[in-house]
Amino acid sequence: MLESYFSYIIRQPVISAPVFLNLLPILLIWRKRAYNDKLLLILFVYLLLKLGVDLVMFDLASHRKNNVVYYNVSIPIRYVLTSWMYYYEFDSKLHRRWVLASWPLFVAFSMWDAIHTNPLMSDIHNHNVVLYSATIESLLMLFWIMLYFYNTIRALKIPNLLSYPFFWICSGLLLYYSSFIFIAPVLHYAAKWDQWMDIGTLDYIPYVFESVSLILFSIGIAQYRDKSYAK
Amino acid sequence: MQSNDELKLVLLIASIAMLMMAFFVIAFVMYYQKKRFEEEKRINDIEKNYNRLLLDTALNSEETERRRIAQDLHDDIGTMLSLTKLSLNQLSKLVTNSGDEKEESIMKKSQSLVEETILHVRRITRDLVPTTLERFGLMEAIEEFIHKLEEDNNLVIAFHSDTEEFPRQGQKLELTLYRIMQELVNNAIKHASCTKIDIVLEIDEEMIGLRVTDNGVGFDPEKIKESNLAGLGLLGIESRLAIVNGTVQYEQPAKGGSSAIARIPVNPASGNKPEPLHPFRRERVNI
Repeated sequence: MLESYFSYIIRQPVISAPVFLNLLPILLIWRKRAYNDKLLLILFVYLLLKLGVDLVMFDLASHRKNNVVYYNVSIPIRYVLTSWMYYYEFDSKLHRRWVLASWPLFVAFSMWDAIHTNPLMSDIHNHNVVLYSATIESLLMLFWIMLYFYNTIRALKIPNLLSYPFFWICSGLLLYYSSFIFIAPVLHYAAKWDQWMDIGTLDYIPYVFESVSLILFSIGIAQYRDKSYAK
Repeated sequence: MQSNDELKLVLLIASIAMLMMAFFVIAFVMYYQKKRFEEEKRINDIEKNYNRLLLDTALNSEETERRRIAQDLHDDIGTMLSLTKLSLNQLSKLVTNSGDEKEESIMKKSQSLVEETILHVRRITRDLVPTTLERFGLMEAIEEFIHKLEEDNNLVIAFHSDTEEFPRQGQKLELTLYRIMQELVNNAIKHASCTKIDIVLEIDEEMIGLRVTDNGVGFDPEKIKESNLAGLGLLGIESRLAIVNGTVQYEQPAKGGSSAIARIPVNPASGNKPEPLHPFRRERVNI
């Protein structure tokens, strides 16, 4: 088993790297007890779930099995957890309501998308990547990030952004979703088990920026100071 | 095949463009936030300086007005009282020669009232403009102030200084310390129901400290500020200190009473010693 894992890591180092990099922010949150803060607790839960899903997908990929179903399932969970952080950070009630309203709509839409893309849900072997959900998720997340940045520079509440953990988390998410937004719809057509379409470097860009975002999360968590962390 | 390659190229360019925009957004947020904070700080500094200037001008005007009143009291009322005294003296001789005891008694009473009024006018003039402070310095002015207070009130006021010769400071600084001392002592007499007041003047290389402690009922400055009862006294102290970069701290000693400590950075009098201020000279005060 270990041999297949090592073999996969050697064959696909760029794809494997973020799976293990998940551990870095998780350990930092644990060590600094940053989970005492509500926002970082959500990030902690998100990272733990992400690690679980990534490990399962890594196991299936290393054994040459279709793991797309886990990816499809993780999209609404990932969206709800990451946007939840913005729900806490927004001061405006209206913006909070927008985030809240987006959850049931997006979950329902991604479920419809998964069923629409895979009419035969029991056929795990030929399961396809969802067609719209990942793109819509990226658009929504980019919107929340931009709205948060806009509010930040308007309100002038944070004296030093570089020592503010959520700024780093936002930057990480912004880079990841920016790298993914144009590639996400292509994956539906490219990542088919029996008709694999090689998209070359494009396949690796989201993984590279996933690793970058995890490193930025870690930098942000390293800035966390128990008493000084203020909304 | 060619369209597939073109698609990949287009996607690659789009993704790179998107990433560049993301980097730009992050850099812009950081830069703009920093700029806005700098701008905000600059505006705050301007506002602070403007308020300080206003306060300074207000206090200067107050001192000028005090001096003008003192001058008018001395030059006009004082002169007229002196002339009245002279006239009464001449009249007194005439009345004594006439030998009417009743008239003589009224005359003596009038003379005594005029002399008392002259003394009052002198005291008010001295209170309005602390000439001892300007001529001899802070220690002598405080000693004189204490001496006058002890005469009029039934309380003990002690004054200590950690130096024999207190070096002369800038006019504004000395006047600020003197007025603060006056305010704190008057507050203690008016509100603290105290029997003893200690005034301590300390100086080191950087700071001058003035501590006024009383054994009265004490007070909680935070509560007074919260309940908008600060009044002009405490606000006046803070305003005066703000102009000379000083601070004030109020304490409640364990043994009771209250203590106020004002600290002001040392500002020795310049080499060109300013002409001593005189209450009876018509001139504008530049403190």
